[in-house]
Amino acid sequence: MSDNKLKKWAPEMDICIRCGYCLEQCPVFDATGWETDSPRGKVIIAHALLNGQIEPSSEIAKKFYQCVSCKDCMARCSANVPVYEIINSARSFLVKLGLIDQTHKSVIDKVIESGNIFGQELEPDKQDGDFTLYIGCQYLSRMNLVKKYIKVLERIGLKPRIKEEICCGYPIKSLGFDDEIENYHNRFQEIFPEKDIVTLCPTCAVFLKEEYGKNVKHITQVLAENLPECESDISVTYHDPCDLSRGLGIIDEPRQILEKLGVELIEMPRNRESSYCCGGGGGLLMSDVGLSDKIARERMLEAASTGADYLVTPCPTCEKVLKTSYMSLKSDGIKTIPVRNLIQIIEKVLKNYY
Amino acid sequence: MSDLILKRLQEIVGVENVVSDPLSKIVYGSDSSVHSSPADYIVRPLYIEHIQQVLKFANSKRIPVVPRGSGSGMSGHAVPIDGGIVLDMKQMNKIVEINPENLYCRVQPGVIDDRLNEKLAKHKLFYPPAPASSNIATIGGEISTNASGIRSVKYGATRDYVLGLKVVLANGDLVNLGTVTPVESSGYQIHRLIVGSEGTLAVIVEATLKLIPIPKFRCLGICSFKRLSDAGDSISAIISAGLRPSMLELMDNIAIKAVNSSLDLGLPDVEAIIFFEADGMVKEEVDYQIDGIEDRCLANHGFSLETSYDPKQRAKLYLGRKKLFPSLSRYKDGYVCTSLADDMGIPYTKMAECAEMIHKISNKYGLIMSAYGHCGSGCMHTKILFDPNDEYKWLDAENAVEEIYSYVREIGGTTSAEHGVALSKAQAFKEEKKDSLELMRSIKKAFDPNGILNPHKLQDAPSRWIDATAIRYGKENFR
Repeated sequence: MSDNKLKKWAPEMDICIRCGYCLEQCPVFDATGWETDSPRGKVIIAHALLNGQIEPSSEIAKKFYQCVSCKDCMARCSANVPVYEIINSARSFLVKLGLIDQTHKSVIDKVIESGNIFGQELEPDKQDGDFTLYIGCQYLSRMNLVKKYIKVLERIGLKPRIKEEICCGYPIKSLGFDDEIENYHNRFQEIFPEKDIVTLCPTCAVFLKEEYGKNVKHITQVLAENLPECESDISVTYHDPCDLSRGLGIIDEPRQILEKLGVELIEMPRNRESSYCCGGGGGLLMSDVGLSDKIARERMLEAASTGADYLVTPCPTCEKVLKTSYMSLKSDGIKTIPVRNLIQIIEKVLKNYY
Repeated sequence: MSDLILKRLQEIVGVENVVSDPLSKIVYGSDSSVHSSPADYIVRPLYIEHIQQVLKFANSKRIPVVPRGSGSGMSGHAVPIDGGIVLDMKQMNKIVEINPENLYCRVQPGVIDDRLNEKLAKHKLFYPPAPASSNIATIGGEISTNASGIRSVKYGATRDYVLGLKVVLANGDLVNLGTVTPVESSGYQIHRLIVGSEGTLAVIVEATLKLIPIPKFRCLGICSFKRLSDAGDSISAIISAGLRPSMLELMDNIAIKAVNSSLDLGLPDVEAIIFFEADGMVKEEVDYQIDGIEDRCLANHGFSLETSYDPKQRAKLYLGRKKLFPSLSRYKDGYVCTSLADDMGIPYTKMAECAEMIHKISNKYGLIMSAYGHCGSGCMHTKILFDPNDEYKWLDAENAVEEIYSYVREIGGTTSAEHGVALSKAQAFKEEKKDSLELMRSIKKAFDPNGILNPHKLQDAPSRWIDATAIRYGKENFR
């Protein structure tokens, strides 16, 4: 077991004092209530795995995939234990041992074969422009939203360059397929050799920065700088995507956009860097849809408590997961509020100005 | 047999509330101490009746039962040294009643301290004995250890706030103890004995807690010292002058460096600092306290004295103290932060000497030890930092711990001020309380004749902490 990636983190597992501060707002622990599912629990399991106290098994693999990668645990850890890296290394260690979830394998195959997570032919309308706009799989499957983003950008005088697209590779890495990501890396760089990239998807933004060392700007940063001042009678609550808030520290810009639009913002109790995950991160949507939905419901109930007209978010995954939860809450007769992509609110307000 | 036990537990609390898989056994066999010992079954009771039935069954089969809150204890309270059933109490987390007129509330044991205080704040009330871990610590766990925290200097410890308890005894009987009134003279106050009993006498299923109005004004101050002894003398002078700070904390240079490096707070890099706070319903009262504290600090060579009524500034400085324990983990590469001799009760006049003694002992054994704590309430914390993969350092740590406790007993202090004894401190505790150990064992026997409740803790714990259980660090167990 000496050549496994997990071993690198052995000292960090000792650094963890097991204080349990990471239990405070872990969405998975909240949903199941079992400490075995908590960040501390996963670090203890990784430690036991490394020391040979337990043998690798599909049950252990399942446990490590029960994580939304929201990094709330790390934000609360003043010992700065890299829980996210430990969990991802455990995933890759188990994948190397052949403990592979077939759903994950199928998604990875699709990314490698088709260039996107859906295994479909998804190609944007290419156009030349002043900066590269990277769309990403989730938005690529919803080109109606992408067209709205491009339209708004062009209305404020910005011309994005749209190129041939392939997945950034985040699913390959986050699901633990390390060998595959090494090969994929070059393929992506050939299409996107440029250093400066604007992204639509928060998860792609983090991954392009951390994996490829790109200078990434998220679309909300671009829009916050350039949108005009408007008036509106809409009220929203803003859901911070984990990758944008804790991942990149992009917290004020989306709020600046809402302020410029004249939209009333009613914050949820858990907001900004303490935002609560939608339940769709870290591959949980693939690994355990029931658990993912339970987390999403919790977030939607929190959103409903604000009494805002809409929950708004710039992340396509959060949007999708929360919309599904909205439908399920509605069909159960539980009070909730509709979910909108940020661009839909922008477009709605700007419509009166252009 | 084990299948039959599992089946019976599932019948009592439902299949979804019992686990016995290898991963859960390990996870629930650990807490924030150095100890590790696997559980056999983890049971999540939802109702008092569940606990009664589980205990009745366990008692009849002589199965150990270890109640557990969030597992943030530092001495091994929740570590099931003999295996058996871990009772995970976190699902019993309802606030049963808040009674603002009579200044009390009733809560289930799994309620998290901070969550309770959030609810109480709506009534302009608070429950004061918050430990640094109040963001995750359960009320049940706090009662079991008689926990206290940074405001204990003014507000005291958990025992001062527990008016009554509902507990389930080892045989499954439910007993009501105490009352809801602030004073009571009705015979033995058994609820006060349950406080701090570390789950060895009964399982707490509900608590009636005294509440205090939230002060309208709070002012936080910080003062630097070139010498640790001056900081210690300031604390002694503040208390002996009859002042009533709501916080009086000492941090030595190791603690300062750890917090600065982990949280980037920019605290002054001096030999020691004191954090102090005063609170009250009128500003004049707070100013009086702050002026008095400042005078004592300056008279003892304190400098760079700053105070602030600003909640944001106070919150930032408070964060440094709140997260000090985890921050110490990052003090030196390759070292870990262990809780061994970590919360001694010290007479005020010996604070400075004790802090210096801690550093002297750590130097002698080539360890790193920080001296900090709620010195205003006589609580001196230390953590022992060393390379956990060095077998000899564990032995050095054991010797250092023994020397520290020997010194503490010599000056009239006590083994544990607020974290409890469990396994890590049992050796020193038994030495300190040797006159009353048999009495304690008789009390334990009266409550729990078969010894199923958190067995082999406190007076019944193994003599040496180092081989009481497996040690959680590294690959080797240095038994």
